[in-house]
Amino acid sequence: MGHSRVHLWFIGPAVILMAGLLIFPVFVAAALSFTDYNLGNPSFNWIGVENYDRLVTRSTYKKMFTASLTYVLLVVPISVALGLGAALLISSLRIGGELYKAVFFLPVMATLLAMAIVWEFALHPIVGVVNDILRTGCDVGWLHALLSGSWLGGDPLQSWYGHACAEDFPLWLGDKDYALGTIAFIGIWQGFGFNMVLYLAGLTSVPRELYQAAHMDGADSAWERFRLVTWPMLGPTNVFVVTISSIRSFQVFDTVEALTRGGPSKSTYVMVYAMFEKGVKQNLLGIGSAITIVFLGFVLILTLIQVYFVNRRVHYA
Amino acid sequence: MMARTNWLGEFLKHSVLLAGAIVVLLPFYLMLSYSLKSPAEIESNTGGFVGSQEIMTDRRCIKAGKPPEECDMRPIVYNYTAAFSEAPLVRYMLNGVFVTVSIFVIQVLVALPCAYALSKLKFWGRDVVFGLVIFCLLIPVHAIALPLYIMLAKVGLTNTYAALIIPWTISVFGIFLMRQFFMTVPDDLIDAARMDGMSEFAIVWRVMLPTAIPALLAFGIFSVVAHWNDYYWPRVVITGNRDLMTPPLGLRMFKSDLDGNEYGPMMAATTVIVLPLVIIFLLAQRRFIEGITMTGMK
Repeated sequence: MGHSRVHLWFIGPAVILMAGLLIFPVFVAAALSFTDYNLGNPSFNWIGVENYDRLVTRSTYKKMFTASLTYVLLVVPISVALGLGAALLISSLRIGGELYKAVFFLPVMATLLAMAIVWEFALHPIVGVVNDILRTGCDVGWLHALLSGSWLGGDPLQSWYGHACAEDFPLWLGDKDYALGTIAFIGIWQGFGFNMVLYLAGLTSVPRELYQAAHMDGADSAWERFRLVTWPMLGPTNVFVVTISSIRSFQVFDTVEALTRGGPSKSTYVMVYAMFEKGVKQNLLGIGSAITIVFLGFVLILTLIQVYFVNRRVHYA
Repeated sequence: MMARTNWLGEFLKHSVLLAGAIVVLLPFYLMLSYSLKSPAEIESNTGGFVGSQEIMTDRRCIKAGKPPEECDMRPIVYNYTAAFSEAPLVRYMLNGVFVTVSIFVIQVLVALPCAYALSKLKFWGRDVVFGLVIFCLLIPVHAIALPLYIMLAKVGLTNTYAALIIPWTISVFGIFLMRQFFMTVPDDLIDAARMDGMSEFAIVWRVMLPTAIPALLAFGIFSVVAHWNDYYWPRVVITGNRDLMTPPLGLRMFKSDLDGNEYGPMMAATTVIVLPLVIIFLLAQRRFIEGITMTGMK
């Protein structure tokens, strides 16, 4: 008889927990998104698609989608490009590659919330070191000329840097025009090292002979080698890195909660923060659940796009 | 290909990477530096990395009625003692260790037998269970946080250690990783163990577990890093009860409590929380990078 029944003991706990802690909650969220449920209230009403209706009509949620999408569109391309750039440079180095790799990977490991607080200090408008460094540049003649474009004969006040020198540098997290960009900068700082190691792994799987073949065919410059060999061979890695980065940046929360709380004027009101604010802080679980379901939809679409691209590659190969 | 080193190219590459490294390291440098310096030096951005370490007076100490000579100390001492006295930092750290270790141990207890069954036992419905695992891989944790929070609140478990641990007891990713690993283990090994009269339970824990150490290590790094650094989930289920706070949440409370610009103690607390993982990372760099990338699909 041996293992005729024993497998139930092995898969039982996992199956029960999967059903109870992963699948059931999705159904709960889906059901609650059609209600006005809140904790502490014994009863609730089915209100149809009212929550979803609010998501598409209220300006708050328009700002939410704008903030989330802008954040993703800022972080994904830049952190992927930086990750690829760093990987290409590091893999072509004679010495010191391991050191840079460790340094760039450090932010991936470090507690994001803690490092966000350090960045907040660094970006403090008055005592922060970032504006301090930028201000120092204003007093150095050639640097000011270079950064403000006046060495080309332009009016320094027309440029961003020259203007900021004359007035003052931005408040960063406190300015609605800069806050999301600043949060995105921290996201890029934190995440590009992760993309870098994925690309480094991808690069080691490019067969050496292909470079020799390209060399024989007259592809001599580094750019030609990259265009003809490296880039096409990195196809699967690209798909993977872009999807992972998109999903990760859709989930941004720590920096927003600790530094801006969605403000100023909802400019950093990203989806996961909105979910937390509505659902947990304001006990509006219906609308929170509706945001959850839309969020889940976005992530599933991204994953399906990835699966589609990966499968297409496999069929060609 | 020619093996001639292009020194100019090499120099340019190092310059670019070095510039990047400076930006990447800036906050780590500031964190350490601020944790050493006096408030005046922090606000005026002077004093270099360690500051002048001139004796300063702790105003809170004077207020507490202690003799002035006991209240004079170097900024570094002030910052670190204030970090530990103003917030229950030790408690936060112990909570962090307890929660991350509990999560990892339970994840292994659940995932390992399941992975073994999925890879080495033949039973009705095996493919369905594996399909379920793959399906669950698609569910992002942020999407189930709200319903899980409601479920825990309904059974009165918010503000408990259980709330911090229960949602993470199942790691479909762990099951998937272990299953892929067990597929490479030869069946002969298991057959031999069965011949020796070992029970299936003994095979899981005495044969499969030791062979799975490399995969478990990678998964362990992933799990511990993720949960030590996690801020979202503790923020949702722990409200107000400081005794249960994990390091990131405790740090966040510390930040909102601070009156004025107590940057020094704040940065000392940050350093204490960030440093353990950073040191372990620097010691076991290669394993960490492998572990995190191997498990990167999460």
